[in-house]
Amino acid sequence: MLLSLNWLREFVPYEGPVDTLADRLTMLGLEVEGVSRPFAATADVVVGHVLTREKHPDADKLSVCTVDVGQGEPLQIVCGAANVAAGLCVPVARIGTVLPGGLTIKKSKIRGVESFGMICSESELGLAEKSEGILELPAGLKPGKTLAEAMNLDDVVLEIGITPNRADCLSVLGLAREAAMAFGLPLTMPSVHLKEDGPDASTLVSIRIPEPELCPVYRARIIRGVEIKASPAWMRYRLTAMGQRPVNNIVDVTNYVMLELGQPLHAFDRSLLAGNFIEISRAAEGMRFNTLDGQERVLTTRDLLIRDGAKAVALAGVMGGGNSEISERSTEVLLECAVFNPATIRKTARRLGLSSESSYRYERGVDQPGSLFAMNRAAALMAEVADGRVLPGIAEAEPKPWRSSPIGFRPAKAVSLLGIELANDFCRKTFQGLGCDVDLTTADAWTITPPPARQDLEREVDLIEEVARVYGMDRIPAAMPKMLKSLEVPDRLGAEVPFMGRLKTWACGAGLRETVNYSFVGQQELDLLGLPGEGRVPVANPLSEDQNVMRTELAPGLMKAVRHNLSQGNATLRLFELAKAFTADSASETTVREAHRLGIALCGARFGSFPWPEEKVDYSDLKGLVEQLLSSLGLPDAQYAVQKDHPWLSPCVQVSLDGSVLGVMGRVLQDVADSYEAKAGLWMAELDAEALMALHQHRSIRFRGLPKFPPSRRDVTLVMPSTLSVGEVLGAVRAHKAAILEDVAVHDLFEPEGAPEKNVTFRVTYRHAERTLTDKDVDKAHNGLCDALSKALPVRFQ
Amino acid sequence: MSSGQALIEELTALAGEAKNTLGQASSFEALEELRVAYLGRKGRLAQIMAKLPGLTAEEKRQAGQTANTVKEELTAHYTVRLEGLKRAQDEAMLAGFDPALPGRSHPTGGLHPLSLVSDEICRAFSGMGFEVVTGPEIETDFYNFEALNFPPEHPARDMQDTLYIGDNILLRTHTSPLQVRTLLSRKPPVAAIAPGKVYRRDSDITHSPMFHQIEGFLVDKGVTMADLRGTLTFFVHRIFGPDTLVRFRPSFFPFTEPSAEVDISCVMCEGKGHVGGQTCRVCKSTGWVEILGCGMIDPNVLKAVDIDPEVYSGFAFGMGVERVTMLKYGVGDLRLFFENDVRFLGQFA
Repeated sequence: MLLSLNWLREFVPYEGPVDTLADRLTMLGLEVEGVSRPFAATADVVVGHVLTREKHPDADKLSVCTVDVGQGEPLQIVCGAANVAAGLCVPVARIGTVLPGGLTIKKSKIRGVESFGMICSESELGLAEKSEGILELPAGLKPGKTLAEAMNLDDVVLEIGITPNRADCLSVLGLAREAAMAFGLPLTMPSVHLKEDGPDASTLVSIRIPEPELCPVYRARIIRGVEIKASPAWMRYRLTAMGQRPVNNIVDVTNYVMLELGQPLHAFDRSLLAGNFIEISRAAEGMRFNTLDGQERVLTTRDLLIRDGAKAVALAGVMGGGNSEISERSTEVLLECAVFNPATIRKTARRLGLSSESSYRYERGVDQPGSLFAMNRAAALMAEVADGRVLPGIAEAEPKPWRSSPIGFRPAKAVSLLGIELANDFCRKTFQGLGCDVDLTTADAWTITPPPARQDLEREVDLIEEVARVYGMDRIPAAMPKMLKSLEVPDRLGAEVPFMGRLKTWACGAGLRETVNYSFVGQQELDLLGLPGEGRVPVANPLSEDQNVMRTELAPGLMKAVRHNLSQGNATLRLFELAKAFTADSASETTVREAHRLGIALCGARFGSFPWPEEKVDYSDLKGLVEQLLSSLGLPDAQYAVQKDHPWLSPCVQVSLDGSVLGVMGRVLQDVADSYEAKAGLWMAELDAEALMALHQHRSIRFRGLPKFPPSRRDVTLVMPSTLSVGEVLGAVRAHKAAILEDVAVHDLFEPEGAPEKNVTFRVTYRHAERTLTDKDVDKAHNGLCDALSKALPVRFQ
Repeated sequence: MSSGQALIEELTALAGEAKNTLGQASSFEALEELRVAYLGRKGRLAQIMAKLPGLTAEEKRQAGQTANTVKEELTAHYTVRLEGLKRAQDEAMLAGFDPALPGRSHPTGGLHPLSLVSDEICRAFSGMGFEVVTGPEIETDFYNFEALNFPPEHPARDMQDTLYIGDNILLRTHTSPLQVRTLLSRKPPVAAIAPGKVYRRDSDITHSPMFHQIEGFLVDKGVTMADLRGTLTFFVHRIFGPDTLVRFRPSFFPFTEPSAEVDISCVMCEGKGHVGGQTCRVCKSTGWVEILGCGMIDPNVLKAVDIDPEVYSGFAFGMGVERVTMLKYGVGDLRLFFENDVRFLGQFA
């Protein structure tokens, strides 16, 4: 909401500094977000009196004028406007003046004639979007006076954020009430003098309201003999200052009064209304209606229409119709002043994406008793600015008159909720200042009746807020709450947050950087990864195509982070993300299952720079991280099995532990990696953090005594087909179950490129729990193991 | 010459030879080989000593004495050389040693700045006794709006443009549903904070469709707005330093009444409104920056969770983690948080 200070001063004689007003309003909950001077650029322009006007000797369309600007000799100015004439008062930009567009006026020679300034048009002064000819000022203005002073342009406009509860402050009047209360100043309403003449309007038009809930009151006045033209300058400039584009005098009056008093109004061209009644009723399903912005709107039975005897003429409270709008030919106006059901207006405005100044106010609630004054104010202004005659009488129906609702207020309750000491006298004065009726009959339980403009005051707590607001919320002291509370915490609470924190801590320690990615991606990104269509959770009203579905896996989001970094030249990446993935689940209260996942992405160099060798990350790096994670969570060795046909990983290895699948890891298919700019290869893992949490919580920690006797180690190198997995060898070793065999691990690998065989060295550890092993013991066991391996697998010993 | 004399001469010759060779050993390995050759179990000294039993008692005594002397000499030469080699090795380490050569780097991991700040805020409150609670990111209209006193078709819903999954299913627009979920399952006194992702249908230079909030609430008998102010002042001092000023300004949220917006003195200009003669761009010269919204829990919210507002009262507050992080670290562009550029992420360790 914009607020012109000059306009405000018509209601409240506030003469203090703007900053003080802005601060006070802000601290009353009416946040001043900006202060501007809309016409500041005209500051140096002065009033000039055209003394003489001669034709330019060498140019048909130019005039040479002498202009009295109040000081020194009259200026000679060359002017191109057709309407310049001797005797006019005009705005003059003298040499050195900078106009709103940035043009600096200089002494110049136009077709051989010297010119010492410029006579300006409205558009050159930034007072109108377009204009013809120079601006003719009212006669009798003193030359030399600044234009700002002469035309009341020295205005300051406050931009104020109005919270949804303060519908009453969507007007100059509402803000003036607050300012009057804040500074203890009187509030003066504009005077309305209606000179009525002609037949009674109520005999010409009747109002029908079949559903009073939708329209508690509808009134209309008729103004005859209007001349449609531009509004007077004071009205146009004021509308412009308030961000409203002037249209014509009748439409401008409806906007002017709406801004001034908060009551939306609509003016119909009465000659275009059929019949002698106005009906406010629901639209028919599917009916089409052209609003005055030229759009065809398809309506439903939840939309409210204004109808004449033959047709729909306005979308109630939202926008008028093109079939009955004021035009240059209009001579008779039907002025509508109504109150509509806020929810109805809101539904229509939202469904049609058509929020107007009018609907904005209606959906927040307007002052029903105050609407009559607004209509009369508008009628009087129409008479003034359009030379109209206001007919006596009002066509009206008020099937649901406003009823005030008294509220109980206990001063003690306010004190106990706010934690401040409040004097009863302060509370009483506050309510009276807000325009409430205060009944103190019962000392500890007052009865407060708020004014009709304050529809947000419905309950005692609303009144307590008013007291706090006026007292000054910033004056509330700081105290620390004290609680007497059981220290018992339900078991189910508190497990997730620390565990997820533990995962993050592990990842940081493992040299991974946390990323935060959007929970939604584009369907096409899930398609690109070949993820199944079922189970996806689409966003019904996405902002864009690339945010139209929830992530079913972290990968597409994490890959975007990879792409961004690679495009920035950050070639080595070790990233992780811990976030939720979303899948459809009809059993869930929200229709969606949310599960935490841990995603890891590696690409680029394995190590840092020199003195490390230059090597690229590969499977061993990723697997090492996963193994380290499990180990750090106290989990035993997992099983790693190749998963064929994974949609976006190949090779893809499924990680599982004791039958629960923990996730997958592997190399992103090159085609997919390429679309994320990861041409050099991208290794990723995606693990089920909830499964990790469950396993971690169920692990049991038992101490085992340390070995007392030394181990004995033997290395054995197997020549085996390159297709044989070391996993099979390790499995066979474990299956062999020699009593003194403690551990076996891959110790070295030699795999000549293209060869059908590879050499793998295993290091086997033997140990006896109760004695030191002899060479003989170990030889026996080791030979037994080798025999078993050569029987079980196609291997040779080197 | 008696065999005893011959043995002594043999020992003396060995001593002479060993003195030279041990003294010239050029490496630890060579020295060790010599030690084994002379002094080992089957070494030269042992071989000579093996001949002792064939001598007379007197010869034995003399040769034995000589042998012991030779052994001591050899051991001494060995030790001197060993120490010499060690010293040489230590000196060799110094020669050409360049401390400026790069270290063998290990990757540095780190939390996202939003996690760091969120964790810091949670720690500040859990230190005061608030529990940390979490909940679903996809919510029903009931938890996100209705129970929080947003009636259907109320303009307050415009304050939070919503992304929908289905008719009454939506991406939570704030962490406030956790107030409802927690208070439905817990009896007061309750004090909890709820961090998490939230979503709005809004995307421009200062709005992200996904961002992070932390909700906090406390319900008990006799809770006042002064308690709220005390709690938040404590928090602000923890996060932004003890000299930071706190300002309460009336505002409106459907789920609190009275409601306030909390401003802190500008972190950039320290509330002065200008930095080095220039208008402060963080607070736009007002000296204040908005940091969170708060208020006393609306009686309608308490009723929706079966708590009698005549008996209990409570406060609630909510803040944007991005906003706090931007103010705390001077990050000027919201989008940086979601680009995840490692050059950005690496600045907050």
